[in-house]
Amino acid sequence: MNMIPTIGMETHVELNTNSKMFCNCPVVETEDPNISLCPTCLGLPGALPVPNLKAIESITMLALSANCSITNNGMFHRKNYFYPDLPKNYQISQFDLPVGVNGSLEIILDEGIETVEIERVHMEEDTGKSKHKGSGRIDSATSTLLDFNRSGVPLVEIVTKPVIKSSKEAVSYIEELRQLVIDLGISEGKLEKGNLRFDANISVAKEGDKELGVKVEIKNMNSLRSLEKAIDFEIKRQTKLIESNEEIIQETRHWDEDKEVTSSMRSKEGSADYRYFSDPDLPNMILTDEFINNIKKEIPTLPSDKRKKLIDTGLSMSESNHLGKSEVWIYDLYLDTQKLTNDCKTTYNLITGELQGQLRKAEIENLPEWVNSERLSEIITMINDNKISFTSGKEVLTNLIQNEINPTDFAESNNLIQENDFDEISKIVKDVFEANKEVVQRIKDGEEKLVGFLVGQVIKSSGGNINPSIAKDLLLKEL
Amino acid sequence: MNLSNSSISEINKLYKNKELKPSEVYEEVFNNAALSESIIHAHLKLFQEEGIAASKLSDARFAKGKQLSQLDGIPIAIKDNINLKNHETTCSSKMLSNYISPYDATVISKLRNSGVVFTGKTNLDEFAMGSSTENSAFGPTKNPWNPQHVPGGSSGGSAAVVSVGSALASLGSDTGGSIRQPASFCGVVGFKPTYGTVSRYGLVAFASSLDQIGPITNSVEDAKIIFNSIKGHDPLDSTSIADTSIEIPDDKTAKVGVIKELMEDGISDESKNEVEKTIKLLEDQGNKVVEVSLPLTKVALSIYYLIAPAECSANLSRFDGVRYGSREFGETSYQMMENTRAQGFGEEVKKRILLGTYALSAGYYDAYYGQALKARSLITKDFENIFKDVDYLISPTTPTPAFKFGEKTENPLEMYMSDLCTIPANLAGLPAISIPTGLSSENMPLSVQLMSPARTDSSLLKFSEKLENLISFDQRTSLLKEMK
Amino acid sequence: MKKDIDIKSVAKLAAINLSEDEEKKLEKDLNIILEHVEALSKMNIDDEEISIHPLGETLNLREDISSEFLTHDEAMSNSPETEDGHFVVPPSLD
Repeated sequence: MNMIPTIGMETHVELNTNSKMFCNCPVVETEDPNISLCPTCLGLPGALPVPNLKAIESITMLALSANCSITNNGMFHRKNYFYPDLPKNYQISQFDLPVGVNGSLEIILDEGIETVEIERVHMEEDTGKSKHKGSGRIDSATSTLLDFNRSGVPLVEIVTKPVIKSSKEAVSYIEELRQLVIDLGISEGKLEKGNLRFDANISVAKEGDKELGVKVEIKNMNSLRSLEKAIDFEIKRQTKLIESNEEIIQETRHWDEDKEVTSSMRSKEGSADYRYFSDPDLPNMILTDEFINNIKKEIPTLPSDKRKKLIDTGLSMSESNHLGKSEVWIYDLYLDTQKLTNDCKTTYNLITGELQGQLRKAEIENLPEWVNSERLSEIITMINDNKISFTSGKEVLTNLIQNEINPTDFAESNNLIQENDFDEISKIVKDVFEANKEVVQRIKDGEEKLVGFLVGQVIKSSGGNINPSIAKDLLLKEL
Repeated sequence: MNLSNSSISEINKLYKNKELKPSEVYEEVFNNAALSESIIHAHLKLFQEEGIAASKLSDARFAKGKQLSQLDGIPIAIKDNINLKNHETTCSSKMLSNYISPYDATVISKLRNSGVVFTGKTNLDEFAMGSSTENSAFGPTKNPWNPQHVPGGSSGGSAAVVSVGSALASLGSDTGGSIRQPASFCGVVGFKPTYGTVSRYGLVAFASSLDQIGPITNSVEDAKIIFNSIKGHDPLDSTSIADTSIEIPDDKTAKVGVIKELMEDGISDESKNEVEKTIKLLEDQGNKVVEVSLPLTKVALSIYYLIAPAECSANLSRFDGVRYGSREFGETSYQMMENTRAQGFGEEVKKRILLGTYALSAGYYDAYYGQALKARSLITKDFENIFKDVDYLISPTTPTPAFKFGEKTENPLEMYMSDLCTIPANLAGLPAISIPTGLSSENMPLSVQLMSPARTDSSLLKFSEKLENLISFDQRTSLLKEMK
Repeated sequence: MKKDIDIKSVAKLAAINLSEDEEKKLEKDLNIILEHVEALSKMNIDDEEISIHPLGETLNLREDISSEFLTHDEAMSNSPETEDGHFVVPPSLD
């Protein structure tokens, strides 16, 4: 029987604001514990929260980019649970009136574009960090060390509907979201730094079942690789249970990176009744249409828009996806150059492959200002017009990166221009035929691979400056 | 002249004329404290050295003719749930018995900049939950008028110190009557401003949507001076309101409404009598007095005892023994928290946390907390409607004069009933003031309460001053006289 | 609506380890209060709109400007137990 997995993702994105969500403490990146604290983020008696405008702008921008409706009259709620890294023992979050609802995000799969529906996008504050001391395992820790520098850092939580169908889709969704927050400039988007953290809700049902199976939440996946492996493992685990008619328990499971298995987490003591209620310290948050429209104006071109634009220039889906994720200047340079050359493939290859590679090799961080779309298009047009070979084009590019040269002049003065004169080439071909009668006979007898040898001879006798494709065409004609 | 019962403006005049020095006034109030504390236990902490130093700095300012404000050199006591940097903020709880605040509340910064001399921190019901100070972990405060009676609460210490003259004024906090009720029990003026007028930053939260800091003073004029110095929008408090006050036209006469439901059952004859006497005084001056009805008064107590505990259940979650405060042993961090909270909180605090936790828990939210919020919104509208017709409202401040210790500790509702008249103003965020009017048959003070529309604090104070001038309540507690 | 309160589970949610005597006393008191608020919970006011701020004020947001407040020592000054600049608690379970 076929089993259908269904996955929902909950992703936390740490915003890159200067100050924390509800106080002025700097958001810091440091190993020194407990150095960026105030009464508010340390939960001292009498302290009060005041929300960060930039964070609200950022989440609005993200929610709009993910095609959400924005809640005009929203509010913050308190989510109550006791845990030592949560200073107030409640987290300021959002409950039934989040900033954004009912959105969607396009993701790229080998099969094409898929849409992932977004249920909600809400604002909350981060907790402190716990370090468990002892044997290294949580279960046998002797004490827990707490650092509250991260306490109160603005977090956006993005929750998808249960619509993702495989680990590949989940990975692709996270990649897309990551690219989006980077392009919007609202987060560093670094997984290894914990800027992006995700949990997966996974259920498996028999094909044809109307209802989803029992939901299991998987935590502690720190990379896209572990996300993929954890989901695959969990789908297999649940499938086996269903097949052997065993019960699936609704629970939270922990991904063990070393053993590559999920295991049931010892549940936090106390129950998970979060007793959400509107935070009386924070009046209703009104996001006016004017505010929302101003944010809209600031949204840069999004990955999905970029992709669309690139596909329109003639690039393939995977080329578009790759270039869409590149830095903005590469993307812009491609588009500007493409407009002049009216060609996509050579332009794409020269800019994303050659130019970026050569810059990296030469350890040049900033593109020299003279390496502009005009000069690049000159090179590309010479290649496309068969005036120079792609290899010669690369050589021109190398020199262009080093010096402010005129590509055409450079190609001419360095003898890179190919011979395109048919009569001239025909003459050479005839000479080569004369000199290699034996080979010509063998080709006629069926040894077609020897054509290459003849082409080589033609190029050789021309001194190298001959267009190989013209040479080949003429050779084949003569034959 | 008894300095400690003189008005702030009089004393300020004497300072400016160099007839009196702040350090002399400080010495007198400190001596009053030294004499009275063993009987009434109103201060949890006296800042003797700091008080002397601060008053001497003030001396120097007046010597140079450079006073910081009308409050320069005025000794003021602070309720011990308001943070004062480098001092304990205990909230009268074992939980915070050793907690030293690293920051000043906004009201403290404002008073500091005005040159106020802080006398010390005053006793309260633990975390401001109570109406008698019997819930203080450090022992109750006694009423200076008769130590067998409670001083009211939760700002019992703040009311008692003003009454006995061990400070010229004090700050209290009022969630359901915690400034007005003790002020009434101790025969002094207590003013709860419009919600959000005075910053709550640095006030240890009990119920965030109800809490408001205000002055307890010898006179309405003193209350006005302190209010003007502590009010104002504070960017550190998101619930703080913009500085837009509304004036009630200051014609010669006003229209005053008597809340019918607060003149019925549950209110003692003595309390009603004070209101009736006051009405007569107002009418004699040509003010018009009419009866108005606020039917939801009947459920106000219920609304309050769902909203306040719900908010407090989350507000007090931070007291867990992790980062500050007392800590008890536990195998796991959760057990440590459970034991710390079991040992650190007193019974009333636990009761309210549990009540609030229950009211917010799955399956009960809509019937309890959700319902209370809606009813609160209704009561606010009812007040708005009433104020379309009248300028001010009058009622007793308390159903009875100060009761005796232990009298209302058996049944929680009996104690809660003593806030019956004061709670509605907190629910609607209105300004309200308690003004002493007379003495009961047992020689305990009685008061009336005036309320006015939100943001009309200045008008309410002006009107109250007029009323105060009509009342000849100049009796003072005889406690100190007897001792001296 | 009213059901007698399950004091043990509520105390667990509130993280207060009550003694048996306390449980009894508090359960009694809480039931008295819940009895009293019963009339309110029966009122038919479902449509009433609510505002978080009692005066209907709305939220102001602050500019994203950072400034330091407590020094490390100040932040740690009230801590019951510290180690290597951290607050220390008994082991916490995830």
